[in-house]
Amino acid sequence: MPTTTCACGGKAAAKDVKDNIFLPKEAKIVRVEKTTEMERIFTLRLADESQMKFEPGQILEVGLMGYGEIPLGLASSPTREKTFDIVVRSVGRVSQALNRLQQGDTLLVRGPWGKGFPLENLRGHDLLIIAGGIGLCPTRSLIQYALDRRKEFKRFILFYGARDPQQQLFLADLADWRKSQDVEYHETVDRGDPTWKGNVGVITSLFSKTKIDPGTRVVICGPPIMFKFVIRELEKLGVARANIYLDLERRMKCGVGKCGHCQINDKYVCTDGPVFAFSEIEHLEEAI
Amino acid sequence: MSFHFIKDQDFPAFLSGLIKARTVVGPVAKTSRQQEKFVFARLTDPAALRLDYDVTILPPKKEFFPPKQNLLLFDGPRVTPGIEPEEKVLFGVHPYDMKALDMTDALFREKNEDRNYTAHREAATVVVSSVQKVSPRAFWASIGTEVKPKGHDAWLTKVAGGCVYEAVTAKGEALLQHGKFAAASEEQKKAARRADEEAARQCPEKLQGTSASNAKKVRAAFSREELWTKFAQDCFSCGSCNTVCPTCYCFDVQDWWHVDQNTGGRTRTWDSCLTEDFAKISLGAGAQENFREERAERFRHRFMRKAAYLNEKLGGPACVGCGRCSAACTADIADPTAVINSIPEA
Repeated sequence: MPTTTCACGGKAAAKDVKDNIFLPKEAKIVRVEKTTEMERIFTLRLADESQMKFEPGQILEVGLMGYGEIPLGLASSPTREKTFDIVVRSVGRVSQALNRLQQGDTLLVRGPWGKGFPLENLRGHDLLIIAGGIGLCPTRSLIQYALDRRKEFKRFILFYGARDPQQQLFLADLADWRKSQDVEYHETVDRGDPTWKGNVGVITSLFSKTKIDPGTRVVICGPPIMFKFVIRELEKLGVARANIYLDLERRMKCGVGKCGHCQINDKYVCTDGPVFAFSEIEHLEEAI
Repeated sequence: MSFHFIKDQDFPAFLSGLIKARTVVGPVAKTSRQQEKFVFARLTDPAALRLDYDVTILPPKKEFFPPKQNLLLFDGPRVTPGIEPEEKVLFGVHPYDMKALDMTDALFREKNEDRNYTAHREAATVVVSSVQKVSPRAFWASIGTEVKPKGHDAWLTKVAGGCVYEAVTAKGEALLQHGKFAAASEEQKKAARRADEEAARQCPEKLQGTSASNAKKVRAAFSREELWTKFAQDCFSCGSCNTVCPTCYCFDVQDWWHVDQNTGGRTRTWDSCLTEDFAKISLGAGAQENFREERAERFRHRFMRKAAYLNEKLGGPACVGCGRCSAACTADIADPTAVINSIPEA
């Protein structure tokens, strides 16, 4: 049975093993599901059977030795105990290697890192989550959380937009949410196909489907282009900038606020974010 | 803190003793294109030490944050950290470089402490040496003057007939046993101070304004696209300014395999925010997003980092005035004095 232990040959001090910010932990693949042509959902468990402790919205560095690491948002809620989910889109060397793994295989995780969704400011209010494309993955950690702790929130509204029906992720979840009384679920695709009966249009077209109270707490995650358009709609509705949270994507190479790649002006997305209140970054020209 | 004096004729024996007892790294000469340049290198011959150097090609941070450093090694499924600190003496660091080291110490220590740096740093004894010869692009006397060099274990200053050695920490004190030192006289201590003041007067370049006024005007110039486009017009995006900078600490991480396809490692290498790919990500299906696509944006980012972004954290600008970037830049557009002085007051 392979183990990731540190047999350091003596020279590295115990502190440098225990507190080593680059040393990953092993995680076992409990289940793997091909969700689209490009994406796979992995359900993982830490190999030492300990509980992965994290907040919705935090990131993990996921990788394989010899290939590297990629930053991924945790795609399940900490309220779902024992296991945690990640979604890997095949885009480069590391993600392609990860997507070749099967149930029972092992991969390496490091984290969780960063600041997640500010639950203390979300609780007790209407919650609107707006997820575009792969942005559904990190926000799923909050969606599940809100469903598991439904009483902590007032209205719970979810907008999800995908490029086309084939790109939709978490099909079983979508089927549940469509029927659920706990979430007001609205979905759209940029381009429909003959089987698609739902809304066609960009994600902002969903704003006409329901009424949003100005006091609503809003969480947005999607491709960089989406933020500006969604924020414009929210401003029209009178939602305060301090109550709009953006889950940003950058090249978070190290995840620990050192390597510099994810900087937006003077912020490090991996440690100051990836979730930011819009009011916190609106003056940062490099943010959106 | 104690002040000592060593005579010129006793200095070689002190160095020999030190080299025998410890790994010693110091400035040595290296000839490049018929020009005498200097580098920090491991000393084997005491005569090779050149405390009369003006500036080294690379700053001494490379002793703790090397251009290439193994973070992890793997042997099949077994993963091992790469931290194996060596107790060494870094001898002859100029005061501006000491300020930079102290800044990198703080940056690697903050938030999530990076033992890959701090373990090496803690294992070292650092001896500062006053500047005996000022480099042609230096402006260290006029930048971040409110931040004093700290974090060193001893400070050596050449005066008439020998050197004054100020032991600042117990580690600095411990080196005294290798040489013939006497207590420094008041006159010798004064001479050491004068030598430092004299070197400061010789800095050929000068940054105008204070750290606070410069931070303010550089920040305020953020949106002045025409300014940054002009500054960066001749930029090759080569990253030389980053590579030679004593306060730059960005890095990339890459994995590699040995030919056996079973063992290998995860290695970090210095990276440069001026290079085109620095902030680029893949979105899948061939799509990419580059968060600092324009040369002007990358050029601006470096100046924001050096003059404004880190000031609160470091107590002053993240530039120490060594002038290495000015000298290393192929197009000669990186000089912080030229750029910052030409930005109008906010």
